[in-house]
Amino acid sequence: VRLEAVQDHIVLEDLAKEQEHADVDEQEIQHISRKLGSAGIKRYKLLMLGAWQFLYDAHTGALPDPLGTPQALIVSTISLEPFTARGDAQLHTRLLNFTRGLEHLQSLLEYQPIYLVIPNIKSEFADLIRNHIRGYAWVKMVEIPLTYPYDDFAVLARALELPRSKRPVWAMRTEGVLAIDRALTLSKPCLVRVISVGGTGVVSPSHVKVMTGYPLKAIIDKHVFEHTPRVIDGGIMTGETLGTKALGVGAECRGITVLSEPKGREFLGFVRPGSDRGSYSACFLSALMKKFNERLTTAMRGEGRPCISCNFCEEVCPAGLMPHLLHKYMHRDLLEETSRAGVDLCVSCGLCSYVCPSKIDLHAQFMEARRLIEEEKKEIAESKSHSEAAKEVAA
Amino acid sequence: VRGLLHLFGKVRPAFEEGGKLRPFRPVYEAMENFFFAPSTATLAAPHVRDPINLKRFMSMVIIALVPCIAAGFFFFGLRFAFMIAVSYAAGGAVEVLFAMVRKEQINEGFLVTGMLFPMILAPGTPFWMVALGAAFGVFVGKEVFGGTGRNLFNPALVGRCFLALAYPKAMSASWLKPAADFSRLFHYVDASNVDAVTTATPLALAKQGEFASLAHMIMGSVAGSIGETSALAIIVGGTFLLLTRVANWRIVASILASFAALAAILHHAQPDRFGSALWHLSAGGLLFGAFFMATDPVTSPSTNAGKWLYGAVIGRSRS
Repeated sequence: VRLEAVQDHIVLEDLAKEQEHADVDEQEIQHISRKLGSAGIKRYKLLMLGAWQFLYDAHTGALPDPLGTPQALIVSTISLEPFTARGDAQLHTRLLNFTRGLEHLQSLLEYQPIYLVIPNIKSEFADLIRNHIRGYAWVKMVEIPLTYPYDDFAVLARALELPRSKRPVWAMRTEGVLAIDRALTLSKPCLVRVISVGGTGVVSPSHVKVMTGYPLKAIIDKHVFEHTPRVIDGGIMTGETLGTKALGVGAECRGITVLSEPKGREFLGFVRPGSDRGSYSACFLSALMKKFNERLTTAMRGEGRPCISCNFCEEVCPAGLMPHLLHKYMHRDLLEETSRAGVDLCVSCGLCSYVCPSKIDLHAQFMEARRLIEEEKKEIAESKSHSEAAKEVAA
Repeated sequence: VRGLLHLFGKVRPAFEEGGKLRPFRPVYEAMENFFFAPSTATLAAPHVRDPINLKRFMSMVIIALVPCIAAGFFFFGLRFAFMIAVSYAAGGAVEVLFAMVRKEQINEGFLVTGMLFPMILAPGTPFWMVALGAAFGVFVGKEVFGGTGRNLFNPALVGRCFLALAYPKAMSASWLKPAADFSRLFHYVDASNVDAVTTATPLALAKQGEFASLAHMIMGSVAGSIGETSALAIIVGGTFLLLTRVANWRIVASILASFAALAAILHHAQPDRFGSALWHLSAGGLLFGAFFMATDPVTSPSTNAGKWLYGAVIGRSRS
């Protein structure tokens, strides 16, 4: 283990090589296995070894309840955001671990189906997986369109027609299955993950095997050539900007994307033919071409304007919302209408903000609306409990 | 180009807080951003944005209008250029004034309104009426509702309705006979000229049982509003607008389909009173209205079902 002190913090480096057995107490395991059965003990082990964090509730994105039962489990090997690692690429060398992980996953469930989402069910690679999982009747291979944001779990659950109202839908990615295999077969914690380093600001896009807390500076020094780039934890559509305060790779990091910030001002930009820029609208010459070069930056590419109801946001919304309508409700502070129009169903894909010609930060507004609605709910609950308490006192 | 950017940098302080020309800041900003796209960066996810912006969006409408503008020049001569200039000046003045009062940015919408408005006027409309109509349209049709994106009606149409209601006599006396060759391109022609006799539009003539030939109406060599006479030019420009996705095809399709259906029924019932469906489609402002007016995103319905219904109602009421 090498320690490095950076501004009051200590960063661990190269711990990955030291594979340590996690401390799972034998006695406690026996106690739990008596209480919960074999599935329970497996779940307990996953929790203790940090593999449970790879599971998500498909609809809410939260960590699922370890004692709950889902209606189905979605295992997705795809990642459709530009520059992020595709799960099936990670699988080629570790197919055995993957199928073993699937077996473990099945033993956690009670006959609920596992949907294995892969990019192309007719490919050679898919055949390879099929050979490996022959006889696993509970694994269903499904193919989905390879367009963003179909890799989002909520969108996947919808595409697979798993209703929101019933029991929760669990979901996980390739790395989760591998982590589960590791935890249950070897009883080892999964500290190492494969992340992608990509974007327009890197020398050459690559995959790196790192562990949580690996210093970001080391990655940036090695891969990034720009001087003041924007470093994003995740993809360009949903990721979060990593400020100067971020030191290490986060526990849930799937990839680091580096984009250049805009430089200079374009002269008469709006009248250029536009063979170098792709757009959802067909207002640029690139609409006539199959292939073109585009260099992505973090530029807004226009000025903020009022909504003109062009409907682009509604056309692209995978959750079937009307973002322009929600925006107008928010503009007039109509929280209840915003909530009724389904702001909770937003899957945070960011497509509405992306296509907006008036450059309105729709996604940010929806997150704000959700926050306000949560706050209001809390206030109502509090005032209720207050009044109840007052009643009791009076009684 | 560098020099221009330098110049903008030099005069900027005068428009900033405390500067002498502070009230004119919207004008300055509009000029600067017209030439140089702002280099603002995104603040949060999504970190990249589509290159489309409102300037580009509105430019597409102007480009789509080019065939109609060209046809207008060909048939009605140089006077059209002055009408466009007057309309822009009057509409632009109202827009700028409101931007200054509200301390907001000048929006690109009036570039389209200012272009559309003279195209739906008769070629001989007096300039003071053009100015009044454009100013009224932008003021009552848009600004009093709160500006771009909040208006209920298309500003250009509001201006046109106002003129039709306020000066019906002058409006109906302004129709000119179209030119037959290129001679008008360099001539200033209005109702006072001898060679440009005022005349009636095909729909007015049809009331008296005279049907203009379909070929003339498709090419546009009939009397009518400047931009509306040539069905061919409208279809070329309108198709471009549909292909760029600025205009919604559902609205256009449903207007044309419902109109054609009703016109066909009427023609079948009384062939001597009504022309064929195709004749009625190319007569009057229906095509122009379907492609360029009804598709205005602000004032048309948002949902797809709404769009179909909206188009059907327009198509029916036009016939």
